[in-house]
Amino acid sequence: MKKMDVVIAGVGGQGNIFASIVISQYAMNKKMNVLGAETIGAAQRGGSVVSHIRIADGAIYSPLISRGQADLLIGMEYVEMLRYLRLLNPRGAYLVNAVKIPTVQNNMGLDEYPETDEILKAARKYCPNGHVIDASNLAKKLGNVQMTNVVMLGALVKVLPFFDYKEMRSLVASNSPAKFKKANLKAFEAGYKIVKS
Amino acid sequence: MKEKQYVMGNTAIARGALEAGVRVVAGYPGTPATEIVDECLGHPGVHVEWASNEKVAFEICVGASLCHVRTMPVMKHNGTNFVTDFLMHVNFTGVRGGLVLISADDPGALSSQNEEDTRILVNQYGHLPMFDPSTIQEAKAMIKEAFELSEKTELVWCLRPVTRVCHARGIVEFEDLQKDLPAAHYEPDRQRFIMSAVEVPEFGGLKRPQLRHRWLNGKQEELYKIVEKSSFNWIEKGEGKIGLVGCGMGYTLIKEAEQYLGRKLPILKLGTLPLPKKKIKKFVKGLEKIVVFEETEPYVEGLIKRIFHEEKIEVEVLGRSGFVPSDGELTLQTILDAVRKAVPDVKITQPEVPVPEIHIPIRTRTQCVGCNYRGILNALKQTVRKHKGIVAGDIGCHDAGSFSPMELQSTIYCMGSSVPMASGMALTGMNRPVFAFIGDSTFYHNGIIGLINAAHNKINVNVILGENTVTAMTGFQPHPGTGKTLSGEESRPIDVAKLAEAIGISYRVVNPYDIKQCQEALEAAVKEEGPSLIVSSMPCYLFSSRHGRKFFEPKEVWVNPDICNGCKICINDFGCPAISFDKSQKKVSIDPGTCVGCGLCVDVCKRGAIS
Repeated sequence: MKKMDVVIAGVGGQGNIFASIVISQYAMNKKMNVLGAETIGAAQRGGSVVSHIRIADGAIYSPLISRGQADLLIGMEYVEMLRYLRLLNPRGAYLVNAVKIPTVQNNMGLDEYPETDEILKAARKYCPNGHVIDASNLAKKLGNVQMTNVVMLGALVKVLPFFDYKEMRSLVASNSPAKFKKANLKAFEAGYKIVKS
Repeated sequence: MKEKQYVMGNTAIARGALEAGVRVVAGYPGTPATEIVDECLGHPGVHVEWASNEKVAFEICVGASLCHVRTMPVMKHNGTNFVTDFLMHVNFTGVRGGLVLISADDPGALSSQNEEDTRILVNQYGHLPMFDPSTIQEAKAMIKEAFELSEKTELVWCLRPVTRVCHARGIVEFEDLQKDLPAAHYEPDRQRFIMSAVEVPEFGGLKRPQLRHRWLNGKQEELYKIVEKSSFNWIEKGEGKIGLVGCGMGYTLIKEAEQYLGRKLPILKLGTLPLPKKKIKKFVKGLEKIVVFEETEPYVEGLIKRIFHEEKIEVEVLGRSGFVPSDGELTLQTILDAVRKAVPDVKITQPEVPVPEIHIPIRTRTQCVGCNYRGILNALKQTVRKHKGIVAGDIGCHDAGSFSPMELQSTIYCMGSSVPMASGMALTGMNRPVFAFIGDSTFYHNGIIGLINAAHNKINVNVILGENTVTAMTGFQPHPGTGKTLSGEESRPIDVAKLAEAIGISYRVVNPYDIKQCQEALEAAVKEEGPSLIVSSMPCYLFSSRHGRKFFEPKEVWVNPDICNGCKICINDFGCPAISFDKSQKKVSIDPGTCVGCGLCVDVCKRGAIS
């Protein structure tokens, strides 16, 4: 059975939902089965937000991805990538946006946010196929940090041959509001190029 | 016309109800059920509303049903608790137009103050039939059938989706909506709809409620026949003498687990209550043991044990009474662990996954940057500290004031409980001021009753009403203080000042962005004998800012490092996510990217370091 289990982890406002819609539409266009799940509610209040997308050409049952099942983990932020690392199959791949979003407790000096080196060391030890994407900075340079998710989608297409560049690009276009379409396509292409093959 | 769409479970449920011709939908917001109501909006001839509370929503729907209209009350489990009184009457009378109660449970308390299983409430206590969906597609099919069956049996039917159904996404087939809905009409039937302890001469003077109870008991036979034929229960053949029983989400997880099992085990899928006795008996023929997976109490497990006891069937029944963990959400792991224990000879090929050895900070929810609650909470914190006060909290965004480091509210239970809880504390004669903090949606839900009681009984309690004009926590739903209905019609918002006057209670209206004003009002309330109300009145920041409305002039705020001494008052007594503490410098700073310029922290800092 051909399958692709994707976890997208971030904090509220990072555009998880847009990314998960594009990925699930891609699967639907391929006439594959899709199931998903989201955490809802904490998004506006600085909480952690995770989307599960399950794609297969056969039957899928649970909407949730369990320990070690994910083929791909997209971390929109370092700690959120770490939080869901255990869902990733160590032979899968992860992409992480090179951004730290401290928790409220971190800001208050009540809890430590781990150092980037430590995080990457732990992640690499867990799964060798990892890609750090400077997506937020790239999106900022392109004019809007909110396009971070689109940059990540571009990068993902380069990393995983499962996703076809042209089709993903057209889905980014069709899901973008008219006034953001051009900029989003640019961000998508930039994300694709930033990953060295 | 059929069309496939990738949608959320709640959308599928709403769509199913619309396809079944639902005409009146009423609910009160609560995760995971909220979106079901929203998704019903926008169809001509379908009335959709946020009611003041779940009991009101349910009673509205029963009223509509008695006029032969299909109707759907929507709530989370706490709402079903609240509805129980009415439920224990309407189960006796039955309904006319199809009525399907949505009672969404939240196993694992992912977004709830408690964890419970409303199947027990509705089915065991209320003797009413239920569907327990395993997928979003099944939830849609179930709700359509529930409307049909509700009319056929004249009973309230209940759909009990769990969070993983409500908030799952999947491909769902959209069918046409019903056109030409039948017109409503009403014929009195007092023998049935007057629930009163009157003697019925035809039955030798038996009281009417007892006769209606008899009617409900008699209905059970009809239900047994229906569930026996239901397409939501089925048997899957397998090898061996140990079978798995999956109810709703439990079945889905068994199927997920199958890929790791060395052989196919016999499976019984259950989606109805009452249970299909004959099907269960057929399933266990030749089996020695079954393991029941259900959310969350061992309810079906108990019912099956009872059937086996009555029928003298000697099959061991295991499940959530201890064999499978008795609390929390079922996961793939709980299923695999239980199968490993129950069927030791089955091979389980689950890949081992290492544990990343690194500290992962927890992300706790907090009030938004710019939230006006932070002002009144800070003023209250200072007042409480000064007078050794106690704060009883309630449900809503302000609950984040009870988390570290603020730790202001001392209790939080369920909707509206803050005022009576605080009243009880005040009545003990501790000689400490007692406060209740309640948001406005919760106040109109049933908090208002506690306030009326405090006024009537002259209880010395200080009630702070956070009037932000929307139900912010669940996504800004309108309530009686909003001034707009769900469908966008203008409605007159309740004037709390006039309400307080009518109740006969002293009140002070304050602007939460003015901490000093809040403190003065709190101080005056503490000195006053008897109940006092402080109305902290300001629309929700997040909701308003999305609509381009602001209630303060954004200021550029910074911390002067020469004045800041790192006392952390702005963190411990205020806790805005835009403020961070630098451990090495022992000073705070404000992130200009996060700060929205409400300027509250300027007044919080005692040294004047923030300006």
